[in-house]
Amino acid sequence: MTASTTSRALSIETSAIGRDFGSGKTLNRAVGALSLEIPHGELFGLIGPDGAGKTTLLRMMAGLLPPTRGTVRVEGFDPFGKEADHARDVVGLVPQEHSLYGDLTVGENLDFFADLYGLDGEELRTRRERLMSITRLGTFLDRRAAQLSGGMYKKLAVACALLHQPDVLLLDEPTNGVDPPSRRELWELLYEFVDQGMTIVVTTPYMDEATRCHRVALMDRGEIIAMDAPERLVASLDAAVLEVSLASVPNARERATALVESSELVIASAPLGASLRVVVESRNEAALAKALEGLGTLSRTAPSFEDLFLTAIARREKTAATKEAA
Amino acid sequence: MSEASLPRTEPSAALPRTKSRRRTSSLRRIFAIARKESLHVQRDPQALYLALGMPIMLLLLFGYGVSFDMDELPVVLVDEDATPESRALSDAVFASGELRIAGTARSADAAHQIFADRDANAVLVLPRGLSESIARGEPVEVQLLVDGVEANSAAQLQGKAEAAVRAASLSLGATPAMAMSPPTETRLSTWFNPEERSQLFLVPGLAAYILAIVAVLLTALTVSREWDRSSIQQLFVTPVRTWEIVMGKLLPYFTLGVIAELIVFVTGAWVFDVPMRGDPIVLGLASLLFLLGMLGQGMLISIVAKNQMVATQMATMVSMLPSMLLSGFMFPIENMPLPLQVISNVVPARYFIHTLRGVLLRGNGFAEVWFDLLMLGGFAFVMFTIATRRFKRELA
Repeated sequence: MTASTTSRALSIETSAIGRDFGSGKTLNRAVGALSLEIPHGELFGLIGPDGAGKTTLLRMMAGLLPPTRGTVRVEGFDPFGKEADHARDVVGLVPQEHSLYGDLTVGENLDFFADLYGLDGEELRTRRERLMSITRLGTFLDRRAAQLSGGMYKKLAVACALLHQPDVLLLDEPTNGVDPPSRRELWELLYEFVDQGMTIVVTTPYMDEATRCHRVALMDRGEIIAMDAPERLVASLDAAVLEVSLASVPNARERATALVESSELVIASAPLGASLRVVVESRNEAALAKALEGLGTLSRTAPSFEDLFLTAIARREKTAATKEAA
Repeated sequence: MSEASLPRTEPSAALPRTKSRRRTSSLRRIFAIARKESLHVQRDPQALYLALGMPIMLLLLFGYGVSFDMDELPVVLVDEDATPESRALSDAVFASGELRIAGTARSADAAHQIFADRDANAVLVLPRGLSESIARGEPVEVQLLVDGVEANSAAQLQGKAEAAVRAASLSLGATPAMAMSPPTETRLSTWFNPEERSQLFLVPGLAAYILAIVAVLLTALTVSREWDRSSIQQLFVTPVRTWEIVMGKLLPYFTLGVIAELIVFVTGAWVFDVPMRGDPIVLGLASLLFLLGMLGQGMLISIVAKNQMVATQMATMVSMLPSMLLSGFMFPIENMPLPLQVISNVVPARYFIHTLRGVLLRGNGFAEVWFDLLMLGGFAFVMFTIATRRFKRELA
């Protein structure tokens, strides 16, 4: 336990951590070289599209995938060193895939993991009961895991990961395939754990979920392109978010969409109900208004996290493209 | 980066942070894995059918169906002589019932078509002038054409026809002389011992073969299934050791293997009267060592393959085929080309079959089979060592 006293302030610390897959021409840098500092009790989100490297990063934190470069410490322990067992003791993982035993019942799955973690007696009994009551799985103990709904299955996975009372809980896209009410329930659970001092790292492709985190890292192609509290990230957006109110001319929607999508001025665009939502550099606002003359009028609107995310990715792609051209 | 805006919550009393370092025991984790694995087997009884149904089915199939002793072999008769003497000869040849007249033809030339149509395995030609030879007391020459494609039938036919013609011609007072002219493709080999009933020879080999299939296939799926289901992630984040996973998974399949083995021996003794002339303790020991080796091989395949389909194919390739073809089960090792003989040295079924035949039929004990036991034990040890070493605790 000596290792943990030196960096007690941080729950998870990575320094220039990275992981490659394959080699030679097929070398794929899944995660570049990321340095993260996640303090105790933080609900930290890894946000990014598929293939951004979120799962790889999470697996390195969980001790499942050794990094190609850099180091990771969880509660001060190196999951790949001599302290691996200490690291396992303080980490719980909820993988993205259905990774419990579907042919075992809820109770049998819990018993199995309790055995592997060496839990027993009064400690196990009270903890198990508490987990069953907060996940409301208590009445389904005899049901096979494969027959649970998506939301209940995830809650069981969370319960199995929390049986040994870890200080850090890692969740990989926990709300994937979970219906909205269960999604909300799951998030409420996470808040409850964080309130009790647990550190939580969660990956998600959903922008609305990003804003539920204390702090997020935007990931794209193995790198972090922005990291801060979500509301501060949104406030820092230095581009104009505009709503296009369409004029009542034939095919206004189709023509406006085509124009917006092909325009050099536009950073990102998305349909928004009956209108369009467009992000442009502030200096280009007038130019776009002119281009859309007759099709619709522009009005400023409050930026959302999704605007920020799309802008960040689009700008990155643009710089990458110009670099390649040069 | 500023952290001032972060919500900070002090650890509450509900989940106490201070906890005793748990001292977890390997034994408990091994039994947890074993119990879980048994539940898988109970809920998906396919493995049970494989372990318990397959031995019985294979034994009955081989024991009854694949008897090497034949009756009523179809033969086409060409009676070119067409005299009372030639008819008497042919009646005598077919009287015993071992050969059966499948039809008649006018000339031996028709034989090609008959073989091509697979209507008969042989053509018996009684040549013109046969009655005169008998009358003059000269040697009688009949011709037997044998379809050599099916080597075993050809060998048996040859023997049976020869015996029948000899007996028949003796009763007719003629000196028999038989000209054998099998077609060019004939490849005959004596690969079973005519002194013994074929079951006595087959059952020990079958015991090894069945055990190889059951043990390797059962374990070949067990670790690869964890990869397919991605439950391997949940396993690897716990403190469980890879060797504990291997041991835990071994226990239930070892039990199934022992049951399968008992079924084979009991059926062999009961249905096919296979004797037990040697030391049963040696037999038991050899069986356990062989079973462990096969389970270890399956485990290694499972760990290397990382997916159930590849694992099944590998299991078939590296354990079933060698156990059948390179073990002396059907083909004697001494008859094999040198490279195959060398390979057969690392096929554990070879040592097991040698021990089984020795103990069951020849009455051997430790003194005769210690080397086999050593090799079986060595194989098991090597398999488990490699399996545990190759079982890397990481996803990639």
